[in-house]
Amino acid sequence: MNASVDRASAQNSRQATASRTSRPVRRGLKIRTKLLLLVSFLLVIPWMGYESVREMEKFLLEGQEQALELTTQGISSILGNRSDLFDPGVGVPELVGSSTGNPLKTLEEPLAIDAPAGVWAQAIGELSSFTGVGLYECGADYRPDLLAVRHAMALNADMLFAYFEIDDDRVVLRDPGLLSLDSNDQIRLTIQRGSGEVSRYLLTTQEPGRISVYLMKPNWREVVNGEALRDIVGTLEPGEGGYAVKIRIPREFLGTGARLKFEVVDVDDEASRAIRQIISTEPDPFRFEFGSVRLATPELAKLIQPLYVAEANITVWDAFFRVRAQVGSVFPPVREAFGRAPQKRSFLTQIEDRFLEFFEWILRSPQRGVKDMPVDSSREDRRLLSRVIAEGNSITERRRYGEAKLIVTASPIWAAGNMEGAVLVKQSANKLLSLQYRTLQRFTLLFLGVFIFLGIAILVFATRLTYRVGKLQRETEQAATPEGRLLKNRIRAGSRSSDELGSLTRSISALLQNLGQYTQYLEKLPDTLAHELHNPLNVVNSSLENLQYNHAELSEDKHLQRARNGVGRLRSIITSLTEAASLKEALTREQVQSETFDLALLVRNCVEGYQAAHPGYRIVPNFSEAPVLILGVPDRIAQMLDKLIDNAIQFGSENGLIIVNLRRDAEFIELSVLNDGPSLPDDIADRLFDPMVSSTKDARKTHLGLGLYIVRLVAESHRGTVRAENRRGSRGVEVTVALPVEIRRRG
Amino acid sequence: MPTVIAIVEDDPDQRENYSDVLKSHGYEVRTYADRPSAEAGFARELPNLALLDIMLGEDMDGGFDLCMQLRNMSPTLPIIFLTARDSDADRISSQRMTAWDYITKPVSLEFLVARVHALLKISDQLQSAPTASTTVSVGALELNEDSMLVRWKGQSVSLTLTEFWIIESLTRNPGHVRTYDALSDVTRQGLVERNTINGYIRRIRNKFRELDESFDRIQTVHGTGYKWEQGSA
Repeated sequence: MNASVDRASAQNSRQATASRTSRPVRRGLKIRTKLLLLVSFLLVIPWMGYESVREMEKFLLEGQEQALELTTQGISSILGNRSDLFDPGVGVPELVGSSTGNPLKTLEEPLAIDAPAGVWAQAIGELSSFTGVGLYECGADYRPDLLAVRHAMALNADMLFAYFEIDDDRVVLRDPGLLSLDSNDQIRLTIQRGSGEVSRYLLTTQEPGRISVYLMKPNWREVVNGEALRDIVGTLEPGEGGYAVKIRIPREFLGTGARLKFEVVDVDDEASRAIRQIISTEPDPFRFEFGSVRLATPELAKLIQPLYVAEANITVWDAFFRVRAQVGSVFPPVREAFGRAPQKRSFLTQIEDRFLEFFEWILRSPQRGVKDMPVDSSREDRRLLSRVIAEGNSITERRRYGEAKLIVTASPIWAAGNMEGAVLVKQSANKLLSLQYRTLQRFTLLFLGVFIFLGIAILVFATRLTYRVGKLQRETEQAATPEGRLLKNRIRAGSRSSDELGSLTRSISALLQNLGQYTQYLEKLPDTLAHELHNPLNVVNSSLENLQYNHAELSEDKHLQRARNGVGRLRSIITSLTEAASLKEALTREQVQSETFDLALLVRNCVEGYQAAHPGYRIVPNFSEAPVLILGVPDRIAQMLDKLIDNAIQFGSENGLIIVNLRRDAEFIELSVLNDGPSLPDDIADRLFDPMVSSTKDARKTHLGLGLYIVRLVAESHRGTVRAENRRGSRGVEVTVALPVEIRRRG
Repeated sequence: MPTVIAIVEDDPDQRENYSDVLKSHGYEVRTYADRPSAEAGFARELPNLALLDIMLGEDMDGGFDLCMQLRNMSPTLPIIFLTARDSDADRISSQRMTAWDYITKPVSLEFLVARVHALLKISDQLQSAPTASTTVSVGALELNEDSMLVRWKGQSVSLTLTEFWIIESLTRNPGHVRTYDALSDVTRQGLVERNTINGYIRRIRNKFRELDESFDRIQTVHGTGYKWEQGSA
């Protein structure tokens, strides 16, 4: 029985030692990190979203293309077989200007030729820019800052008004001393009348104010007639960085079906007076001499007017690449595109707007693309039209100008098997793009919200989980001492939770409870054992005594003596077993009996007693007379000292020296007992203060290993600690009890 | 008329051993193995002294029940508990039932006989009105050795035989230390551990303190023993 108890206890301790040596901490990812990594997989969602939006964009663009193509074809079929609309004689093939310019504005009131340039600019409407770049190529040395022309024309009942703003770094007017007319800044006007007759007029002046107009020969150097003409009236007005020119031509003078071409000629060097640049309002001077005249056909315009398509520009061209009518613009109406009507916004939408601004910054806003949309794309239009006219088929193409996207379809107009012209419809795809952009924006916003929410939720969850696991771990670790003694038999943290962690907690609690019961059983075993042994021992004892009483002659019998000795030893074993078992219970009960007493005095008295009881040994107190006050139960301290001395004697050398020390520092009072016996065996050093652990090998010495266990129990009930170590320097073992200076009563 | 001693003990070996030694000392002995038979026996004939085990077979507190019955039948019958149970709770229970002594196993038969003898003598004394002449006064303490009566400041203190002997030993030479060995002899139990002596002293102090909270006459001389401090009174 004894052996099995010993084995169980040894096993306990071994396990305890194992768990102490390998702390359950390993490197690696923690739960929280793992979950957050998992969340990061959600980042795939925006990529998916982006892809799907791209797909959607493609799909929508194709749809737009098809719709536009249908529209174009519809217009072309409406206009089909209406050769009257394209007949230059019929309708009002009036005028004038550039093929790319805006439709001519009709004025109610005539413009006074002497009115300031500002009045003209305001009245005449939007100006078209003509530079040396693009269609109006002037050569490699062209610089826009040296010469640029803005030009527009307008009509009233009798007159055609032409207005020019010319940027010129140096204005060189006609030198009165020179005969030639063309050695200065000038405007050349070419008119092809309906009859096909071509006239050239040169407009020049010596000073700001009225301009002289001369009819010129085709070389532009010689006049046909030296007389200045009076039909065409013009004025020159200097302005900032150049000058403005106002011209008035009677419509009568032009006749029906006339074509006009203006050329602005720039001379910069006053000495050489060489022509430096010529900018023409003629879009394609290499192909059509006078192709630039816009033959607006109001009936056509009326026909296509109801076909207005948002952000689309519809133009009808005749077979000679002349615009006959146009409706709409590819530019979005300003208000619609760039500003929302100010309205009361909720706080939330304001936040949303802030976000949207932020995203516009991150994502590329398609509204930027609008700025890239070219004002004039007639060259590309012409190229497309020439293909349509050549092939006789509808053609759709997509164009890109920087950020701007343009869908262009062109469809031929047939009349009795002849191609009369073509319809060209241009529509900005930026509206779609901005739709896509907005979708992307909302999606990103939504995703970001979801991501942040999920991230926070998982972070909170993981933190809570980690906290719970950590708490469980701490409590589990605290449930037992490093030596494997149970301190509590259940775990409180999270034991009510219904999840797996809760059930793990409950499992651990159940485990601890079972372990606690087993430990309790083991602890009670000596007591139960002792109790059960008392009765048979009493039988043996009383029988022996009866034997002796009845047979007086046997009282000196050696066997009887030995039997009595054996009974005596058995009895002391049982007594010490009971003592240890009942002590634990007694100690908790006796806490209230704590009193403050002088430990030094108690130890000294005890040592005197021990010295008297063990005259063979030298038991020496080795500390000063000064009182060492301590709060505790003096009887138990004395009992503890008993065991310390017993232990020192038992394991010390025969008739050796035992030294009792008492030290005090700020925190602890240390009571130590030193002997001169053999060193501690390594195998039990850790467990010396556990019950039933003893190093004795002497069969005749009764030692259950409960002495130091009692020492530990008493020390711990005083919140102290015990340790045993080999003496440094000399042979022997020192057992030390450290008691805190301040022992508070346990609540 | 012979002196009758009743022994209630479930273990036949122990029962017979007690019986043998008491018979050889001239006592008439009645032995019972369990509570029913003992009750029947007591009803027939009241013994002069009862020796009870607490645990009687399956009957965990059979001895206590018997004690109560006996006490009802005779307020002055000496009752000794002889048991393997050594808890304070059991001792207090026995005290409440006014048992005269409480001995734990294993017991020395020699001392058992001495106790029985002493208790019977005290019982006789009580029946024939105690004489004041045998009363000893030590300060506020009065001791009557014959009747085992102890008074502290006029109030009666209920002590077991062992406790009475310890008090008697301590007060024989007030102010002088009684060593553990000396006290061990006094308890007449054979070899007694210091811890057991401490237990007796603790219980004695508690009994005095129940009457007088400031009782502090019994002083510990750590490592050696105890002494009765005479005090100023």
